[in-house]
Amino acid sequence: MNTLTIENISVEAEGNSILEDCSLKVNEGDCIALLGPNGHGKSTLLNAIMGSPRYKVTKGKISLNGEDILPLDASERSKKGIFMAFQNPPDVPGVVTMDFYRAAMNAHEEKPISLLRFYTAINKAYDEVGLDSSMASRHLNEGYSGGEKKRNEILQMLLLKPKIALLDEIDSGLDVDALNEIGNLIKKLHEEGTTFLIVSHYDKLYDMVEVNRTAVVVNGRIAKESDGQLAKRISREGYSFLEKEYGIKLEKKEKKPSDVSIGVCAVRQPLPPQGK
Amino acid sequence: MKDLLVSPKEITKDLVVDEDSSFGYFLSDSFEEKKSSLHFLVKEGKNLSLTLVDFTKSDLDIDFVIDLEENSKATLQIASIDSGNFTKIFHGNVNHNGIASTSLTKMAGINSSTGTLRFLGSSYIKNGAHKSSTRQEAKITNLSPDAKSECSPALLIKENDVKASHGAALGAYDPEMLFYLMSRGISLEESKKLITFGSLLPIIESLEDKDLVSKIKDSLGGLIL
Repeated sequence: MNTLTIENISVEAEGNSILEDCSLKVNEGDCIALLGPNGHGKSTLLNAIMGSPRYKVTKGKISLNGEDILPLDASERSKKGIFMAFQNPPDVPGVVTMDFYRAAMNAHEEKPISLLRFYTAINKAYDEVGLDSSMASRHLNEGYSGGEKKRNEILQMLLLKPKIALLDEIDSGLDVDALNEIGNLIKKLHEEGTTFLIVSHYDKLYDMVEVNRTAVVVNGRIAKESDGQLAKRISREGYSFLEKEYGIKLEKKEKKPSDVSIGVCAVRQPLPPQGK
Repeated sequence: MKDLLVSPKEITKDLVVDEDSSFGYFLSDSFEEKKSSLHFLVKEGKNLSLTLVDFTKSDLDIDFVIDLEENSKATLQIASIDSGNFTKIFHGNVNHNGIASTSLTKMAGINSSTGTLRFLGSSYIKNGAHKSSTRQEAKITNLSPDAKSECSPALLIKENDVKASHGAALGAYDPEMLFYLMSRGISLEESKKLITFGSLLPIIESLEDKDLVSKIKDSLGGLIL
């Protein structure tokens, strides 16, 4: 059984409290729609589960099959079977995509993967996500379009076959055809046994992958859980009914002004008189 | 197209580029000259591509000066590793003397010890060189808390109707990049290795001698990790 348990966690980023006493249990086979207004903590929750050093868990526990994973770094959590598809994957100039795939696949194997198996796997994955395999020789994410980056995230998920996949707005910026292809791949992996926690603002993806549960993050905690129908209702009506029917009031998140510095990076000098 | 690859004891001092030219310099331990000054005059409508890869274990002070005439173009790329207690200084100065001249300067470095690595230089668009464009980039990754590094790509603009930009990055590893690689199971050490190689590789790979590129890549790990 692959069970991910988030118990009363509080999370800070750059001194700002984002999640407070947030709890969620993800059971094996779940396909959960994780919804919530902007800025209320959905991406923070996924990043905290994956182990981003930017987010500090100040309280609570995250465990996988009963094992506390908070002491583990992101690479160790990945090896335990957790995967996160990034909303905005960073460009990594100079790192060749193929070398990155190989390093990632080797990290999940006891001994280095054979060349034949590696090339067979990446060609199949490129084919499945609808990207040209020649992209493997390019630098990771550099110069990729938004859609290519999203497909590349799914491609990595296909290669690593995680137990639990966290998808952070994987459908944003995709055209209809791309969304259908990616939805089908998620559904296929789900049928093969991967558990999903999916952040999206659109019900189209949730419909395609047939979510069985909905969890709503409001004010930094899971404020409401229900079956997959709740995601559809939120898509139709927004979040206002949560206050009327469940007394869940959306608090405005006020951001402290960040420290800024203003400097001069170039100096314009007066031109000398013409003709001299 | 002139294509010259050198592993010199002495670098060319002064050159007029009157045909499209590409130069690659690989400075290994055999490089003895501590201070060098190189001047290139790129004639009207010609292109110059200049790449320098420095793996020396000694002090260095190299000054590149590129003068661009009308419609000429220059790309200057420097990759350097300071793996000892050395002082290495690179100046990349590009003078846009003519209309519609274009330049790109990219400097990438690794400072893995207690030494000093400095990327300096400027793009100077002179009065009359309108429709010119220039970009200066400098990036140094410090692998040691005692490393002393400086990036200062400057712009001097004395004409209107030009495009000019510069960027400098100095510091340790980008935490977002590290997290991304680690989230795929790659260890912290291996992730750092990939990123470190990655910051230099685009410049190293622009050398046209692929056998040399392969040898440089093989020796890279031993120098910095």
